Amino acid sequence: MNAILLVEQTLNGLQLGVMLFLLAAGLTLVFGIMNMVNLAHGSFYMVGAYLTVAAANWTGSYVAGVVLGLAGTLLVGIVVELVALRTLYERDHLDQVLATFGLILFFNELVAILWGRAALFASIPAFFSGHVEIVANLRYPLYRLVILGIGLAVALLLWYVVARTRLGMLIRAGASNRTMVAALGINIRLLYTLVFGFGAVLAGLAGLLAGPIYAVQPGMGELILIQVFVVIVIGGIGSIRGALVGALVVGMVDTMGRAFLKPVLGSIISPTAAEAAGPALASMLIYLLMAVVLALRPQGLFGARGN
Amino acid sequence: MTDALLEVRNLVKQFGALRATDDVVLDVQPGETHAIIGPNGAGKTTLIGQLSGDLRPDAGRIRFAGHNVTRLRAPARSQLGLARSFQITSVYRAFTALDNVALAVQAHAGHSYRFWRPAERESALREPARRILHEVGLGDRAEVLAANLAHGEQRQLEIAMVLATKPRLMLLDEPVAGMGAEESQRMVQLLATLKGRQAIVLVEHDMDAVFSLADRISVLVYGRVIATGTPEEIRVNPEVRAAYLGEED
Amino acid sequence: MRAHLRLIVVIAGLALLALVPAIAAALNQPFYIDLLRRVMIFAIAALSLNLILGYGGMISFGHAAYLGIGAYAVAILSHHGIHNGFLQLAVAVGASAGIALVIGAVSIRTSGIYFIMITLAFTQMLYYLGISIEEYGGDDGMRLPRRSEFSDLVDLGNPVSFYYLVLGVLIAFLYLSHRLVNSRFGMVIRAAKSNEARTRAIGIAPYPYRLVAFVIAGAMCGVAGMLLVNHTNYLTPDFMHWTRSGEIMFMVILGGLGTIGGPVLGAFVLLLLEDLLSGWTQHWQIILGPLLVLAVLFAKRGLAGLLPGARRDD
Repeated sequence: MNAILLVEQTLNGLQLGVMLFLLAAGLTLVFGIMNMVNLAHGSFYMVGAYLTVAAANWTGSYVAGVVLGLAGTLLVGIVVELVALRTLYERDHLDQVLATFGLILFFNELVAILWGRAALFASIPAFFSGHVEIVANLRYPLYRLVILGIGLAVALLLWYVVARTRLGMLIRAGASNRTMVAALGINIRLLYTLVFGFGAVLAGLAGLLAGPIYAVQPGMGELILIQVFVVIVIGGIGSIRGALVGALVVGMVDTMGRAFLKPVLGSIISPTAAEAAGPALASMLIYLLMAVVLALRPQGLFGARGN
Repeated sequence: MTDALLEVRNLVKQFGALRATDDVVLDVQPGETHAIIGPNGAGKTTLIGQLSGDLRPDAGRIRFAGHNVTRLRAPARSQLGLARSFQITSVYRAFTALDNVALAVQAHAGHSYRFWRPAERESALREPARRILHEVGLGDRAEVLAANLAHGEQRQLEIAMVLATKPRLMLLDEPVAGMGAEESQRMVQLLATLKGRQAIVLVEHDMDAVFSLADRISVLVYGRVIATGTPEEIRVNPEVRAAYLGEED
Repeated sequence: MRAHLRLIVVIAGLALLALVPAIAAALNQPFYIDLLRRVMIFAIAALSLNLILGYGGMISFGHAAYLGIGAYAVAILSHHGIHNGFLQLAVAVGASAGIALVIGAVSIRTSGIYFIMITLAFTQMLYYLGISIEEYGGDDGMRLPRRSEFSDLVDLGNPVSFYYLVLGVLIAFLYLSHRLVNSRFGMVIRAAKSNEARTRAIGIAPYPYRLVAFVIAGAMCGVAGMLLVNHTNYLTPDFMHWTRSGEIMFMVILGGLGTIGGPVLGAFVLLLLEDLLSGWTQHWQIILGPLLVLAVLFAKRGLAGLLPGARRDD
C-alpha cells in the first residue's frame, strides 16, 4: 500500500460517490416531495446509457449522442410519470413498490428485445480518453476526472437552484408541506412532473457517464440502485445535502473497502483467511455503515424527524 | 411536597421561534376533573401531547402518581394509568366495537405473547369489554365495525377504550368535538357519571360542558396558564374575560 | 358466514392439491407433480411474508433472503458431509431466525420508505455475501451433493413422497398462521398496522411484537428455502435476489392481503402465469411487468376479493 495507490483509490471513491449522487439527488427529491417510492429509477439510468450509445452510433457523434440520449431519457421519464405514476402518488407505499417493480421488469425486457442481453460496448470519446499525470508517477484516467467534474458541477447547480431560486423554494416548501403549496395556487402537478423529469435526466446522465466504465446491459440499473438506497437512507430522505454527503461517504467506503480491506485484514489475521473474508466483508461494508447510522439516527444524517 | 396525582412544572415546548408551551405549571388532584380552556392556537393539544407522552418537552418536569414520567413514552405512561383520547377520532376502524375495547383490556391484562389461543375466546378480555361498552351506552353496538358507527358513537367508543385501560387519570382531548347538541348532551352525561372515580383532564371549547363538569379550570393563552381556579373564580376573572370569554360575547 | 365460506374454499383447494399425484399418474404427466410442488414451496414463502406484510403492514422487501439462508444452510452442511435432515432443519430455522432477529432489530426501528429500502439493502448484502464466497459456488452456485435425509420417515428422492411432505408442511403452516393471527399476539400485530397511535395510547409498544413476528416469518421462510433447494437440487445466490422478494410480494398481493389462503392462491396464479408466458416467448417479462402494474392499479384487493363471501371492510 503506497501513497499513489491511496490517491488513486481516493479519486475512484469520489468518482463513484459523484455518480451515486447524480442518482440519489433525483430519487430523494421524489421521495421527499412526492412521498413516492420509485424502484424504477434505475431504469432511467439504463435508458440513458442505452439511448446515448445508440444515438452516438447512429449519428457518429458523441456529443449528438449525449444530447439525444438525455432528451430521450427526459421524454421517457415524463411519459412514465404521466401514464403510470400519476395515480400512484395517492396510493400507499406498497402499491408504489409493486407497480414500479413491474416497470423494472418491463424496461429490462424492452431493452433486451431491442438490443439483446449481451453487454453493449460504449466507448470513451476521443477528447476524454487518455490519462492525466496528476502528481509524479500517478497517471489517472481523464474520463474519470471528467465524471468527477461533471458531478461536482451538477451538485453546485442543484445547490444554487434549491437554495437561491424561486423554483428551489417551491421544491423545499413542497418537501415539507405539499398541501400548503397546493393551496397557494401553485400548479402542483406541473411541479411534480418537472421534479420527476429532472430526476430522470440526472439518472440518465449518470447512466451515460457510467457506460464506458461499467457494463451497459439489462438490469444495470438495479445493480447500482441498492447502493443509491443506502446513500439516501444514510443521508436522509428529501435532503439533497444528505444525498451528497451520503453519496461521497458510500463511494469512499465502498471503494476503499474493496481496495484495502483484504491487505489490511491480511496483516492482522492470516493472509489465506483474509483472502476469503476480505472480499466478503468489503461488499458488506456499506450496509454495516448504514446499520450503524440507523442505530444512532433513524431518520438519516440530514433527514427530518417524523413526517 | 404535595400529593397531587399529576404535577407539571415549568413545561416548555418550542417549534422554531414559536413557544407552544411556555413555562406551564399545573396540578391535578386524584379524582379531580380539571378542564383546560383557551382560545384557538393556545397550545392545548401540544400540552396534552406532552402529558400523554406523544411529544417530548424541551424543558420542565412531569410527575404522575409519584413517578417522574417526563422522559417516558406513551405506552409506558398508559401502563402507569395515564390514558388519553384523541381530538380526531382514532379507533380501529376494521375491528368491531367489542374488538376495539377488548384490545384495550388486553393491553392491561398481562403480556400479549400468546400465540395459540384465539383472543376472541378469552372471556377475561371479552366480559370486561362488554361491560364497559354497556356503560358508555354502546352495549347493543358491540358487533358493529367501528368504521360503521356514527361519529358520536365512535367518540363514545374512544371513551370506552380509555376506561378499559383502568386509568387513574384520563386525558380527554375535545370529547364532544364535531357533535350535535343531542350527542353532546349524552357525552356530557356519560362523563358526569365517570367523575370522581378517576381524575379527568378535559380540553374543551364547549363552555356548557366545561362549566358543568369541571371542579377546577386552567386557562391557557399563548402557551401560558394565565389563571387556575374554580369555575366561578374563572368566570369572574377579568384577565380571563378579556383574553377568552370576552371574545365569546 | 364469510369465514366459513373461505374455509371451505381453502379446504377444497388443499384437497385438490392432495389429488394431484394421482391425477398426474393417470394422465401420465409426472411434470405436474414437479410444477405444483414448486408452487407449494413458494406458497409457503408467500404465507410467511403475509404474516408480516398482510397482517402486520411491514413492507419487507428482503424476504427472499430467508429463502436463501435456509437453502444455503442445507447446501453448506451437505457440502461438508452432513446430510441429516433434522439437523439441517434445525440449522436452517436457527440461522433464518437469528439473521431475521438482527436485521429486524435494526430495521423495525424505522418505518415507511426507510423500512422498505433498508430491508432491500440488507437482502442485497446477503446476496453479495453469497456471491463472494467461492467455496460455496460464488456466482454460479452449487449442486446439492445429496438430498436431506430423514432416516426412514420420508425419502426426498421419491417425487411423490416429497410432494406430500411439502403439502404437509403447507397445511401445518396454514394452520399455524391461522392460530397466530387470531391469538393475542396476532391481534397486537394487526392493531399496530391498523392504527399505530391508538395502539401506543392503550399501552402497547409495537416494536417488540413486530420483531417477534419478523423472526417467525423469517424462520418459516427458511423452511421453505430448505424445501426449495431439495426440490431444485441446485442452489444459486439468485435465491435471495431482491427481484425474488418482489415476486413473493406479488404472490401475497395477488392472492389478497391479510387472508390466510390468499398467498397460496397468489403463488399458484403467479407461477402458473410465468410458466405459461415463458412458454410463449422468452421475453415473457415484458408482458408480466405491465400485467403486475395493472394488477396493482386496478385489482387492489387481490383474487381473494373476487371469491364468494368476500366482504368490503374498512
